[in-house]
Amino acid sequence: MPKISDIKVGQVLRSEFDQITRELLQKYAKSSGDTNPIHTNDAIAERAGLKGVIAHGLFSSGFIIKMLDDFVGKSGKLIELDIEMRGMVRVGDTLITEGTVTKIESNRVYLDIKQTTITPVEIKKDGNVVKKFEAGERGYISEKDIARNLIKTKEVDDGTLTYRERVAAPGHVIIELNK
Amino acid sequence: MDKEQIKKNAEFLMKELPDMEIPGVAKIRCKYKKMVDFAKCFGITDKKYIGSEEEGIIACPAFANSYAVKAFYTLVPGVKLEQDGVKRDLALVPTKLLHASQKYNWENCVPIKPGDVLIAKARFGKVWVHEESMRLFAQMFLTVKNQNDELVCQITAGAAIAEGGY
Repeated sequence: MPKISDIKVGQVLRSEFDQITRELLQKYAKSSGDTNPIHTNDAIAERAGLKGVIAHGLFSSGFIIKMLDDFVGKSGKLIELDIEMRGMVRVGDTLITEGTVTKIESNRVYLDIKQTTITPVEIKKDGNVVKKFEAGERGYISEKDIARNLIKTKEVDDGTLTYRERVAAPGHVIIELNK
Repeated sequence: MDKEQIKKNAEFLMKELPDMEIPGVAKIRCKYKKMVDFAKCFGITDKKYIGSEEEGIIACPAFANSYAVKAFYTLVPGVKLEQDGVKRDLALVPTKLLHASQKYNWENCVPIKPGDVLIAKARFGKVWVHEESMRLFAQMFLTVKNQNDELVCQITAGAAIAEGGY
């Protein structure tokens, strides 16, 4: 469990989640009471112009809270979370949550939060598509994503992976550690 | 909807909404199973959040997502507006309504236990338009207390309505 003296400005907390599935969004809808069908029904989401279901706006914030709550444990508590929802989170995305300590005052720790989505599109080998992911099948990548240079490639076991990397939710957090 | 009407609607909402109390309260009953199922969505394994009912648990802090959404779903339809003698809703095209931001403050708040009944009240804060996109933004403040009048969470939600949706 952390002590205030162990925490340093610039320290980074990080978590990664790659199990966003339709089943998980259904479970979240049921337990959160946010039953808007654009999060659970592809046909309705398509009619709303979304090309497929999107995660609930607050769904990903749960992973920020979990990361910080795991970090704090019994040594303190969360005081404030402030996030901006900038990018939709979808099935198949990997959600990377990072918190960087920016300030320590008395027993309070201030962090900048950045949640990034990695959206796999396709894998190519020798110029041929060998695997297409949901984003490639459903056309989640927009012209705007390309114009903003969010589309990247990297070598993986099966070939060259094309993916989108974008910030889904920036924000700020305050945690308080016990004295 | 033409540009002139969009501008007129934006001006109406920017005049009417700021500081408006949303009528009524939302009551949210916190059930053990919902609290545990919610925590499990995030892979939470801490027994204080997912332990047995007999041992006693508290809601994980992320459970705020649940009662915030329920409170807004209950309270926002109660917003009654009348523009030029015609009754209207906040969003004219619900699919153009987006959740833009969320702030939770747990300062001096008590944890939630199974069986608690939360009582939420809301009011609007600032309302403004991004002139380039004509997207309308509205701030809503939600105060959530338990059945003993103890503060559980203070929430500031940001809603955005795209051009033509208001």
